[in-house]
Amino acid sequence: MSTTEKKSIRIALAGNANVGKSVIFNYITGLHQHIGNWPGKTVEKAEGTLYFKGHTIDVLDLPGIYSLSAFSIEERISREYIAVEKPDVVINIVDASALERNLFFTLQLLELGTPMVVALNQMDVAEGKGVTINVSELQKFLGVPVIPTIATKGVGIGKLLEKAVKVVRGKTKAKPARYGREMEEKIRKITKLVEKIPIRYPPRWVAIKLLEGDEEINKIVGGIDQKIVSNAEKHAKDLERIHGEPCSTIMTSERYNIANKIARRSQRIIPSRGPTLTEKLDAVVTHPVMGYPILIGIMLLVLFTVFTVGGYLSGFFEDMMEPIRGAFGSGAGELIGEGLIGGLIAGVAIVLPFILPFYLILTVLEDSGYLPRAAFMTDSFMHKMGIHGKAFIPFLLGYGCNVPACLGCRVMETERERTIATFVVTLVPCAAVTVVVLGLVGAYVGIHWALALYALNLVIIFILGKIAFKVLPGEPMGLIMEMPPYRKPHARSVLKETWMRVKEFVYIAFPLIIIGSVVLTGLKVGSLLEPIGDAMSPLTVGWLGLPAITGVLLIFGVLRKELTLVMLAALMGTTNFGTVLTPTQMIVFAIVVMYYIPCIATIAVLVKELRWKKAIYITVFEIAFALLLGGIAFRLLTLV
Amino acid sequence: MITESVEEYLETIYRLYERGVATTTTNIAKELKVAPASATQMLKKLAKQGYLKYTPYRGVTLTAKGKRTGKEILRKHRVMEKFLGTLGIPKSKIHKEACELEHHIPHDLERAIYQKVEGEKPLPPGAPSDVVPLTSLLDGQKGVISFIGGGRGASQRLADLGLTPRTEITVIKSALFRGPLLISVRGTTLAIGRGVASRIFVRAK
Repeated sequence: MSTTEKKSIRIALAGNANVGKSVIFNYITGLHQHIGNWPGKTVEKAEGTLYFKGHTIDVLDLPGIYSLSAFSIEERISREYIAVEKPDVVINIVDASALERNLFFTLQLLELGTPMVVALNQMDVAEGKGVTINVSELQKFLGVPVIPTIATKGVGIGKLLEKAVKVVRGKTKAKPARYGREMEEKIRKITKLVEKIPIRYPPRWVAIKLLEGDEEINKIVGGIDQKIVSNAEKHAKDLERIHGEPCSTIMTSERYNIANKIARRSQRIIPSRGPTLTEKLDAVVTHPVMGYPILIGIMLLVLFTVFTVGGYLSGFFEDMMEPIRGAFGSGAGELIGEGLIGGLIAGVAIVLPFILPFYLILTVLEDSGYLPRAAFMTDSFMHKMGIHGKAFIPFLLGYGCNVPACLGCRVMETERERTIATFVVTLVPCAAVTVVVLGLVGAYVGIHWALALYALNLVIIFILGKIAFKVLPGEPMGLIMEMPPYRKPHARSVLKETWMRVKEFVYIAFPLIIIGSVVLTGLKVGSLLEPIGDAMSPLTVGWLGLPAITGVLLIFGVLRKELTLVMLAALMGTTNFGTVLTPTQMIVFAIVVMYYIPCIATIAVLVKELRWKKAIYITVFEIAFALLLGGIAFRLLTLV
Repeated sequence: MITESVEEYLETIYRLYERGVATTTTNIAKELKVAPASATQMLKKLAKQGYLKYTPYRGVTLTAKGKRTGKEILRKHRVMEKFLGTLGIPKSKIHKEACELEHHIPHDLERAIYQKVEGEKPLPPGAPSDVVPLTSLLDGQKGVISFIGGGRGASQRLADLGLTPRTEITVIKSALFRGPLLISVRGTTLAIGRGVASRIFVRAK
C-alpha cells in the first residue's frame, strides 16, 4: 500500500456485533486487506484498501461493540480511534431489524461529532420480520445520510461509498443529539470548562463522559485540572438526587429514550403471524432435552471432520516433504535438515492440517449463529470452572490444540475473564497429549487408567479454575450475550475469515516451532542432551521415579508434546514401551506430560494474548504443579 | 409479635430460596454471619413456630407462612434500599441501614415510600409491592425493570444492551441446571447468566 496518493481517504466502519459489518468490509476491500493487532492490545485490527472513482480509500474495521462506555478493551480502542485519530468519515452500520438498540450506538457516535454516514443494513432481514423503515424520516432525525443496504447481496454498497466520499469532500460534521433540558444544562456548563483546557477529545463529549463518571476521562482531565472533575461530580450528584439512579444510568436511559423515539417514528412493524425461523429453530436447538444431543452431535461431527480431513492432509504433506529432510546429511547439515526443515514439516504437516479444517468449521458455526446457542446451553457447566458459557468453544478447542483455544479466549469481554479462560484452556489436554496418554497408559496399563487421568484432569480444571476465579482481582462478570438470529453462512466471508485466522496462526506459531526445532537439534548435534538429562535427574529420578532419559524427553516435549513419545521410542530403540517403563512410571510420566508446560507455540500465544508477566506466571505454575502432582502420584502408586 | 431476629432469619432463608441456593444450616449461618450451632438452635425454634420444616443435616424448607413473612421483610428491605439510595446515602451504608429499618416499617408507610421512589401510579390498597429478581419470573412472563444491582461493569453492560430502568423485558426461557435466561428486550434477544439475572429487579406483569 503506498501512502503517496494525496487523495487517500480514511474510512472507519463501526457498529454492533452481528450486523454484517465484516461482510461489508470484505465486500469493499476484496483481497487488499491485512489483519493484525491494535498496538499493544490483543484486539483484532482489520485494515484494507480500495480504489473507488479515482480515490484511494483506506478502510478500518473497528471491533463490533454495543456502546462507547469503555466497558471492554474493544470499546476503549474504538472510541480512542474515532476521537483522537479522527477518520475522515465513519460508516456506522446499523441492523435495520433491531433499529432501537443499534441507534443507541449511533447516538454515541454522533456525540463524538465526526462526519458520518449510516448504512441501514440487513434490510431483507428486517422485511422478513415485518419491519419497514422510512429512510428519509430516519435521515431527518439523525441529521446524517442514511443508505439502505443488503451487504450479503452487495445491494447499496456503491451508493454507500459514494455518499461517504461526498461527506468527506463536503466536510459536513455530524450534529450530536440533544438530551433532556436539565441534562443539557449540566453538559453546557461543563463543556465550557473543558473548552479552556488542552485536550484531544471533543469538549462536549468529554463533558458527557465526566458526568457519567468515566474512569479513563476522569483521569485524563483530572491530570490537567482536578477542579473540573470535582465540578462535574457535583453536577452528577445533583442529577442523581433528582433521578435516584447513578448518572451513567441516567445518561444511558436518556439515549435509549431518544433511540426509542426515533425508531418508533421512522419504522412500521407488522408483526408476523407465525413464529419466525429463528424462533422455530431455537425451540429445538435450545430445548432442555433435545438441545443437548444436538450440541453433542455437532461437536462430535466437528471433531470427526477435523481429524479425518486433518489426518488425510497431514499424511499427504508429510509424504511430500519428508524427502527434503533427509537430503542434508549429518553434523551441521543436520541443523538444517532435522532442525529447520524438520520444524517446518512439523508446522505444515502436523499442525496446519488440523487447524485449517477446524477454523473453517468454526467460522461456519460462528456465522450461522449456532455458537451463542452452545454458550447458552453450557453456561452453568462452565460456571463450575470459574468461567462462563462464552468460553465453552475455546475450552472445546483446547482438546484439539491449545493455540487456537487461547486465541479463541478473546471472546471474553473483560481482562479478568479472558485471563481465567486462557489459564483454564492451557490445562486442557490437547491432541498431542492424547497421543501420549493413549499410546503409553492406554496401550500398556489399561484404557480405564487413561480415562481416569482424563477424569482427574477435569476435576483439576474445576478446582484450579475456581481458585483463579477467587484469586484474580476485579469484578466477576457473568454471561451477558446477544443471541443473533440464525443466518445462512456467507461463503465469501467464511473463506476470507478462515484464511485470515490461519495466516495469523502461522505468523505466531511457525517461527517458534522452527526456532525451537533448530535449538534442540543443535543440542543433539553438540551431544549436550545427556548432560542435561543428568542435570535433571534429581527431579526426574529422585522425585518422580522415572528413568534419567525422561529429562531429555521432557525438554523435547516443550516443542510438541507428542515428541516425548516419539523420542522415547528413538532413544530406547524400541516401540514396545512395556519393556522400558513400569506401569507406575508410565502413569507418572503421562501426568507430568499432561500438565508440565504449555508447549512452545502455546507459550507464544500466551505472551501475545496476556503479555509476558502472566505468560511466565502460568508457565512456571504449571511446571511446579506437574512436578508436584507427578511426585504425589509416584508415591501413591508405589504404595498400592 | 415476631422478634427482629426471627424476621432476619426468615428474610435470609427466603433470599437464599429465591436465589436458588440450598437452604442448609451452613449456608444460612454463613449468610447471617453467625455460628452454625446458634443457627441450628434458632431454626429449631422457627420450626416449632410453624415457619419452616427442619431436617437435621439437610437444612430447612419454608412453610407458606414462613415464605410470606420472609418475602415481606425482603420486599421492605429492597424498598428501603432504593429509598436510601435516592437520599444520596453512600452505597456502603445503604445495606446496613436497610437491614435496621426493614423491621420497623408499617405496611402503609412502605407503600407510600415505594410509590415515591418508583414514581408509579398509586397501588391499590393491600396490593403487595412486587419487585422480584428476574430469575423468579416464569417462562413467557413479562416484567418492567425497577433497578439493577451488582457491580458497575455488569450494570453498565446491561444498560448498554438496552436494560435500563422502566424497560419492559420478557423471559423467553431459562436453561436447565440453573443455566442462563433467554430474554427479549427492545426487539432483541439476549442470554443473561443466572448470577447476573438475579440482580436485575423487575415488577412482574
